[in-house]
Amino acid sequence: MIEFDRVSRRFGQQDALRNLNLQIDDGEMALLTGHSGAGKSTLLRLLLLLDRPTGGQILVDGQSTQQIQGNAVGHYRRRFGVVFQEHRLLFDRNVRDNIALPLEIAGFSPHDANRRVRAALDKVGLLAKERADPNGLSGGEQQRVAIARAVVARPEFLIADEPTGNLDPALSAEIMTLFEAFNQVGVTVLVATHDLSLIARSRHRLMTLAAGQLMQAGVA
Amino acid sequence: MTQPQKRDQGHWGAWPAWRAQHRAAASNSWQKLVVQPVVTAVTWLVIAISLALPSTLLLTLDNLSAVAGGVDRSPQLSVLLTGDSELPVAEQLQRTLKSWPDIDDVVLLDRELALSQFIQQTELATVVGSLARNPLPHTLIVMPGPALSAAAMTDLGQRVQTLSGVDRVIVDTRWVARLETALQAGWRWVLGLGAVMLMGAVLVLGNTLRLAVEARKDEILVVHLIGGSPAFARRPFLYLGLWYGVGGGMVAALLLMIMTWWLTGPVNTLFLLYESPQTMRVPGALYPMSLTVLGGSLGLLSARLAAGRYVRQLVSLTSS
Repeated sequence: MIEFDRVSRRFGQQDALRNLNLQIDDGEMALLTGHSGAGKSTLLRLLLLLDRPTGGQILVDGQSTQQIQGNAVGHYRRRFGVVFQEHRLLFDRNVRDNIALPLEIAGFSPHDANRRVRAALDKVGLLAKERADPNGLSGGEQQRVAIARAVVARPEFLIADEPTGNLDPALSAEIMTLFEAFNQVGVTVLVATHDLSLIARSRHRLMTLAAGQLMQAGVA
Repeated sequence: MTQPQKRDQGHWGAWPAWRAQHRAAASNSWQKLVVQPVVTAVTWLVIAISLALPSTLLLTLDNLSAVAGGVDRSPQLSVLLTGDSELPVAEQLQRTLKSWPDIDDVVLLDRELALSQFIQQTELATVVGSLARNPLPHTLIVMPGPALSAAAMTDLGQRVQTLSGVDRVIVDTRWVARLETALQAGWRWVLGLGAVMLMGAVLVLGNTLRLAVEARKDEILVVHLIGGSPAFARRPFLYLGLWYGVGGGMVAALLLMIMTWWLTGPVNTLFLLYESPQTMRVPGALYPMSLTVLGGSLGLLSARLAAGRYVRQLVSLTSS
């Protein structure tokens, strides 16, 4: 379970987040929305320990992230699969090697890594592109490779920051379906988006941020 | 997909995983060198020159030091008689000098004997045979008494010079002293040059690696974001530096072999001129091994400095 307990993040005189309280249960899928500058990215950065709160605390499975320091940060981040808007694929590696990167970091054996990569590729419908150069893939395919990389190590949490920002509505719906599929097998999913069509078709909890505060929470 | 796992199922033990990560980093880094043959060759050559040039100079100085060290340093005078002085005059001078209290012994070098030795050593019999007469003078080698100071040696030389039939007096230890002084200066020069060239190699390597890190900053960032440690992010660049350094060291060893082969003739002639029985020392296995290890160490050091600094900066930027 992820819990934000009166979390604040202040940059100079500017509050990016103000006394934010929110909770995401294990196995839940939630959407986080809000205008640019509302605090979505700050919230995700705090959750991934790319930044630290100036007030309050974040609890993950009851453990305060403030206690996670040094080498433990890497281990903590491996509990999360992260999908970025701009994919962040490595274009000097093929599809298979991109997806295998988290497994390499986590120290999986090559045999197990191969099995998992193929399973993840199968799940996102790109098994035939295992040895393909990411440069030759479409935007939607690249994003699906990024999703496969995010889930290949079977993380507890899947975090997506504007994952459909560069995709057309049909591809966006396809990506959202993938997230739902992962959620159905127990992965806790948090998607930050301001894609209204995505929000409209979602049946999951919607949290709206404005000026660093949670304005509204409910089913979209 | 199965249930998400809170434990690291499917993991190897720490040691096999660590070994596999190193093997992957080493292999990927090597492949990056192979796909850029021109950059790799130029970098290897720059490192090789930086290592081979001082090494070759050190090897030459090492050989020359052996010459200076092998010479009998007991002070002595070579007394060259005038060309028209015959053997009886030379023998008379030998007896005269032997009677002086500050002289221990005097050896006469017969000019006919000296000429035959010269012909044997230089194989110039035809040239010498064409001469109308023996151009070498009779020579007296004067061994002064023990503990003669430099000033007393000079005084003795001046007194011998005044004798009838003496053409020239040479204080034979001077060339050794000059050679030793030149070698000392040479060592310093080579060490200074070597230090500068090694620094140059580190800078060239550092810059090459900095560019490599810059070109792969997305990879470092992604590794950082998905839970890779700074050590994991640094590792490919450390191997890249190692391959550059080891490759440069091996090319330097090859250059050293070529230079040694090229220098052997003139250096052996130099030995002969200084009447040294030895021949040029050819570098054994130690030199190439040392160059390879030195190159590898320089590569690792440069990579550690370049990649370490960049990874730290990136991690602090994305974590602040």
